[in-house]
Amino acid sequence: MSDHVTPTADNLRQIAEQVWAAYLDPEGVRPLLVGESRQAASAVSASVSLTGAWYGHVVVTCSSVAARHAAAAFLAMAADEVSDEDLTDVMGELANIVGGNVKSMLPAATAISLPHVVAGAGNRFPTTRQICELFGTWLDEPFSISMWQGRELAEVPAA
Amino acid sequence: MRILIADDSRVMRQIVIRTLRQAGFEGHELVEAADGRQAHDAVQSEKPDLVVCDWNMPEMTGIQVLGALRAAGNHVPFGFVTSECTAEMQNAAEAAGALFFIIKPFTPERFKEALSTVLG
Repeated sequence: MSDHVTPTADNLRQIAEQVWAAYLDPEGVRPLLVGESRQAASAVSASVSLTGAWYGHVVVTCSSVAARHAAAAFLAMAADEVSDEDLTDVMGELANIVGGNVKSMLPAATAISLPHVVAGAGNRFPTTRQICELFGTWLDEPFSISMWQGRELAEVPAA
Repeated sequence: MRILIADDSRVMRQIVIRTLRQAGFEGHELVEAADGRQAHDAVQSEKPDLVVCDWNMPEMTGIQVLGALRAAGNHVPFGFVTSECTAEMQNAAEAAGALFFIIKPFTPERFKEALSTVLG
């Protein structure tokens, strides 16, 4: 018996709205503008893996400029004061928050990993397929949140 | 009061500290731990009056920390701040003796609601 559902872009949007309201845009003046997708020239990609009853990954990817702004917002400091360690920590925490929230939609016996952050390139996950993505721009910089499911377990067509 | 804040993210520990302040809980002595083992050991060495603990951490998870403390007879007030929010985890936390379960992302209002009985 299973009451889980396959997460959708709309689910990611709802989680993103909470994250923006709490940490990235508490004053409601710098929202994530959903809908416009473009490749980041220099990307930072953070992910958490989900294993067990459901296998896949939650990935947050944005430009290095956006990642620096995110860290500045989390830490309530200026972007030029953000260290690389801060940036990595914040991106990992973003993936962790999104992953933790989508986990509640998945089968109970699913575990979440610690975050993994790659700077300078996008993460790649062989033998998975993307099942949903929320993409857009934040502060005129590309920003994406996506979910990837193990291909052999995927029950839905690729997005 | 002495409050132990355990989270493997240094940034999140800072946000918890800032949110405590924004929720009106100021003037407390704060101690930090960067993984579950450190949190467990800090409860013994620092003797906090409250533990605010992440769930998913290296070395020991938050629920393992709480279980080990209770098994050793330590009944320090203990609650979770975590991004994971399944009913099973909330039930496990409650069964293990957690006082609160705050889900990330959180607001100062949520902190106030969850911690006012402990911190006054």
